[in-house]
Amino acid sequence: MIDEKSPISESVPTIPPQKVTTMRTTKFEETVAGYLFLAPALIIFVVFLVIPLVMAVYISFTDWNGITPLRDDDAFETIGDDNYQQLLTQEGRRQTRFFTAVKNTTYYVIGVVPTQTLIALILAVIVNQKWLKARGTFRTIAYLPSITSSVVISIVFLWLFSRGGLVNAFIELLYPSYGDKAINWTDDSTGVFHWVLKQFGVTRADVGDWASEKHYGLRTWDWISGPSVTMLMIMILNTWTTIGTLMVIFLAALQNIPSYVYEAAAIDGANIWQIFRKVTVPLLRPTTFFVITLGLIGCFQVFDQVYIIGGGDATLTVAVLVYRNAFGTGSNMGLATATAMILFVIIFIFTVLQRRFFGGERANW
Amino acid sequence: MKRSLALVLVLTLALAVFARVPSSRAQDTVTIQLMGWSSSPAENAALEEMIAAFEEANPTIDVDLQLVPEYDTTLQAAFASGDAPNVFYVDSSRLPDFVDAGVIAAGGDMIVDPEGFFPSLVDVFTIDDTFYCPPKDFSTMALQYNKALFDAAGLEYPTNDWTWDDLTAAAEALTSGDTVGLVVPPELPRWLPFLYQAGGSVLSEDGTEVTFDSEEAMTALELYLGMVEDGIAAPPSELDSGWGGEAFGTGRAAMAMEGNWVIGALEENYPDIEYGVVELPAGPAGEATMAFTVCYGVAADNDHPEESWALANFLTGPEGATMVAEAGFGVMPARQDAAEVWLETRGIEFEAFVTGAANAHRWQFPVGFGDFIDTFNNGLKEAMAGNMLPEEVLEDSVAIAEEILAE
Repeated sequence: MIDEKSPISESVPTIPPQKVTTMRTTKFEETVAGYLFLAPALIIFVVFLVIPLVMAVYISFTDWNGITPLRDDDAFETIGDDNYQQLLTQEGRRQTRFFTAVKNTTYYVIGVVPTQTLIALILAVIVNQKWLKARGTFRTIAYLPSITSSVVISIVFLWLFSRGGLVNAFIELLYPSYGDKAINWTDDSTGVFHWVLKQFGVTRADVGDWASEKHYGLRTWDWISGPSVTMLMIMILNTWTTIGTLMVIFLAALQNIPSYVYEAAAIDGANIWQIFRKVTVPLLRPTTFFVITLGLIGCFQVFDQVYIIGGGDATLTVAVLVYRNAFGTGSNMGLATATAMILFVIIFIFTVLQRRFFGGERANW
Repeated sequence: MKRSLALVLVLTLALAVFARVPSSRAQDTVTIQLMGWSSSPAENAALEEMIAAFEEANPTIDVDLQLVPEYDTTLQAAFASGDAPNVFYVDSSRLPDFVDAGVIAAGGDMIVDPEGFFPSLVDVFTIDDTFYCPPKDFSTMALQYNKALFDAAGLEYPTNDWTWDDLTAAAEALTSGDTVGLVVPPELPRWLPFLYQAGGSVLSEDGTEVTFDSEEAMTALELYLGMVEDGIAAPPSELDSGWGGEAFGTGRAAMAMEGNWVIGALEENYPDIEYGVVELPAGPAGEATMAFTVCYGVAADNDHPEESWALANFLTGPEGATMVAEAGFGVMPARQDAAEVWLETRGIEFEAFVTGAANAHRWQFPVGFGDFIDTFNNGLKEAMAGNMLPEEVLEDSVAIAEEILAE
């Protein structure tokens, strides 16, 4: 992601290339030496990234089961874009499951990315204040969830959010009548919007036939009923664990903003909110772009928390679907790699779009 | 970063060099890799003991035991890369995939004394009349009941002759406050016994037709879901538990239908609980339970087939099975005479697990049925939460099964 036209290159006057006719051999040697220095990283990059990537693209057009050794002649057959058709256009179980995963993942991204970015920014601004005592302690506390094993955190969350867990006990403390209809956070596939509508007595049957029509294997009602309650719990969990890392990135950027900018704003009579809104936020823009990109990619690929917490189709994400297609009973590596490729394209499109909207010319990371 | 890269490179090279150094015994011994998953410490120790005994009896064979985490993934990667272990665990549900992929050797005559195994287990590992691999051990599902809770409710303990009506009546009487009568996990293998007890089936005998869309399936589903609706049974997650054994151990459920694994788990986590085990209740079509079993598969692509079979046969043969039985951990040996020894070690109160073998059904579906299992599990869960009707669960699952068979 390097800008073709970075402001720096424009401002630097171009130096006319020096004529070095006698130094051709030196230049060649320099090139060789350069690549030699690059070689260790390049080899690893090619062996562990480029080759697997190319193979994955190829496998996505085959029916390889992921078990038969690839060197066997009859390990797989090329079946064209069959896998992609089954996932995207052909009505059936594969399409339904894929779009269930897409729906869940989309709600997840929409819910988590803005929330975690905003909270991380606010936290960073707070722990960046000079008047704050024990800043180091607060920074450490906010960062702790990020360095704790996601498996451990998932299991602790399962305890916290179980029907008889602390979260429900806390809600019951605030609303004593809640106890009778306590939510089982860890295993509730009801969509959040659906749940809210149900409180007002609105269900799928009430709103008309359009809600029961199927699009891409899912009923319209399912599309709009929001992330499941269990998914909401995973979203809270993941927001909480990621904030720390993002806060540190924001913090580093905040400390790069020279204090005279703030002083100038203060002399011009800006209040705290105006300084935050008109000085801090614009100057943080490249960092915000970076943080949102990181968040988008990470959220689209969410796997381990979902894998641990489970919850069936209600929490199925695209990355989990890739794993489930690839391994275990009925493994189908062709289908799994096709799913992964589509996920790649989705992430790519979102990153490009995001760059259009947030990146601007300042995205120089 | 660069330093760590260099370190990785150096380490890789060093490992490669060391890996190539032949061991001093390499001339006259053959190394057999055995891959499996780690069970309880007691079970792992027993396996190591058996392997030591095997190596003593066969001085020319060295066994390299690898108990790996994420077994399914690791084994699959080993196969795909053409570097499969010689001998490996195969769960009954996974056998059709391995046979289809051509990575498991057909046992046939290589398996010693096949008559000694429980016939139902031999049947599980037989596909298209080929007996692929000797069963290692097995578990069956049985009914566990909490004696204290039965006493408190003034009920008589369950017997092997129980029927569905006895089960629902007792569950109702045992439900009070936080405790429900029975814990019912929303999972296909836990519900399947009810289907078979009702006389239903998922597929026809030859596996070419879906027979799931039946009155019997509906009866079994209505019984299972009806108990949840009436509040006398609940899934584990409603009882603040991860699985049925935990709900039973904490006393939130008075009865559970778990397999042999519950013995060790209860012993370890809830040692104070007084419980008994009987066979699952009988339905309109009689008794039925599920058998979960694992065999020792031998790789098709194998440099040392004879030594591999020698190991598999030793571990599952009369001698190995007796050693499993005498160690007395949760699972039962797959040989009938060793099962007697297991009962002596373990105690007669666990007899229901052994007798269940007589009417146990296999936990196995044809290749590609993973989607069917997922769909049914999801439907069962939704139905328990009241979001789906039993007939919708059945309808969806039948549609998926037919779609898979049509391919």
